[in-house]
Amino acid sequence: MSETDQSMLKITELSKYYGENHVLKKVNLNVKKGEVVCIIGPSGSGKSTFLRCINLLERPSSGSIFYQGNDVLDGKWKTNEYRQHVGMVFQGYYLFPFKKVLDNITMAPRTLKNKDKAEAEKEAFELLEKVGLADKDNVYPASLSGGQKQRVAIARALAMNPELLLFDEPTSALDPELVGEVLRVMKELAEEGMTMVVVTHEMGFAREVANRVIFMEGGYIVEEGTPEEIFGNPKNERTREFLARVL
Amino acid sequence: MDLKWSEAIEGLGPSLLQGVVVVLQATIISFILATILGLLIAMCRLSKWKVIRGIFVVFVEIVRGTPLLVQLFYIYYVVPLLLNHLLSSGGTQPNIQFTALSAGIAGMTINYGAYISEVFRSAILAIDTGQKESGLALGFTQLQVLRKIVIPQALRNSIPVLGNYLVMMIKDTSLLAVISVSELLLRTQTYASQTFQTIESYTILAVVYLVLSLPLAHVMKMIEKKFHVEN
Repeated sequence: MSETDQSMLKITELSKYYGENHVLKKVNLNVKKGEVVCIIGPSGSGKSTFLRCINLLERPSSGSIFYQGNDVLDGKWKTNEYRQHVGMVFQGYYLFPFKKVLDNITMAPRTLKNKDKAEAEKEAFELLEKVGLADKDNVYPASLSGGQKQRVAIARALAMNPELLLFDEPTSALDPELVGEVLRVMKELAEEGMTMVVVTHEMGFAREVANRVIFMEGGYIVEEGTPEEIFGNPKNERTREFLARVL
Repeated sequence: MDLKWSEAIEGLGPSLLQGVVVVLQATIISFILATILGLLIAMCRLSKWKVIRGIFVVFVEIVRGTPLLVQLFYIYYVVPLLLNHLLSSGGTQPNIQFTALSAGIAGMTINYGAYISEVFRSAILAIDTGQKESGLALGFTQLQVLRKIVIPQALRNSIPVLGNYLVMMIKDTSLLAVISVSELLLRTQTYASQTFQTIESYTILAVVYLVLSLPLAHVMKMIEKKFHVEN
């Protein structure tokens, strides 16, 4: 069996232009089921744009994205239905401020999967338990700390039962002492076998949790390898420079 | 000077009570319709089709660029004439007329609808893109994101301004006197001109408006508090 056959996500020659600005330059990526891929790189390297192209929040200018063997860009598969399989967690949490925590989590499964209230709430409680916020079901997001908000956002994404989770710098907006609690939840997810693509500045997390680390700069994937290869013995000069700056 | 307060209250009071019913009717119906119209216009102005956007830009500018008083005259007197003219064919002459109250409600609905549409439009535009994107990322369609995530927040954020408009609307019903709606001002004018109790009549009128608008402003504040959501 060839490697591509096991790919959950197969991205080929993906490019993105904003007008004249060439942000992504023929980027390739294969993600296998259960794999954790961390994307690192300086700001403006295109890593967030790349992640946002995966669930089509940004429309790629060219290239192809296959998810579980389906062409995501050919228009046959409705974008919103595709996104129900691919969860996303944002830097800015973006919980719905007018809904209590529990309703934030149950809203999508109740609307999109027609789950009844009792069932959706039972699952939501389990997810809150999982992210360590079992007592926060009945409060509004405004009363939570950043770390708690992000953990609710993870629970909200998990409520749709996604096969793949995208994280866009999930801890970058957090106070340093709150980063740990979010990374802990992410690490647990990884250990349970969740397939994840994580754009992050947390090198410790990438080193410890990732199966594969990708270093991006200037819209290219400069180097790709196991955490040991990237952090222990980076081959590319620019990877070495970047790591020297951030480590 | 010999002011006849009790006589004025006895004489004008019952009539004003009937006037209050008219005012509340006109205000409540116009406010509900104007809110719905405002939301529809706001959505059309945010449409991706240029023609639809253009039509409603022009509509809103026409309404905001002319006085409500003139609009009321136009709807009550001119629109029926135009309709009769346009619909007359082969000797049959239709006789379309509006009652004063329905013309008044139509005028207030259109006028306030235009202003309220601007409130909704800016409230919708003010919602963080991240809110929309997180909804899309969960798998909601564009329309579901608008209906379930954007508009509920925009409506909540609009409540304080809508409250102001509601209080303004109550007071603006006095303009309906010019198209012969027997609201408070017209009733007072009639009474004062018959009895010459001018000071008493208009003072009572002012008090009645205060009694109507002050508690309403208070109620709106309470509603505002109830729906206030921190971000």
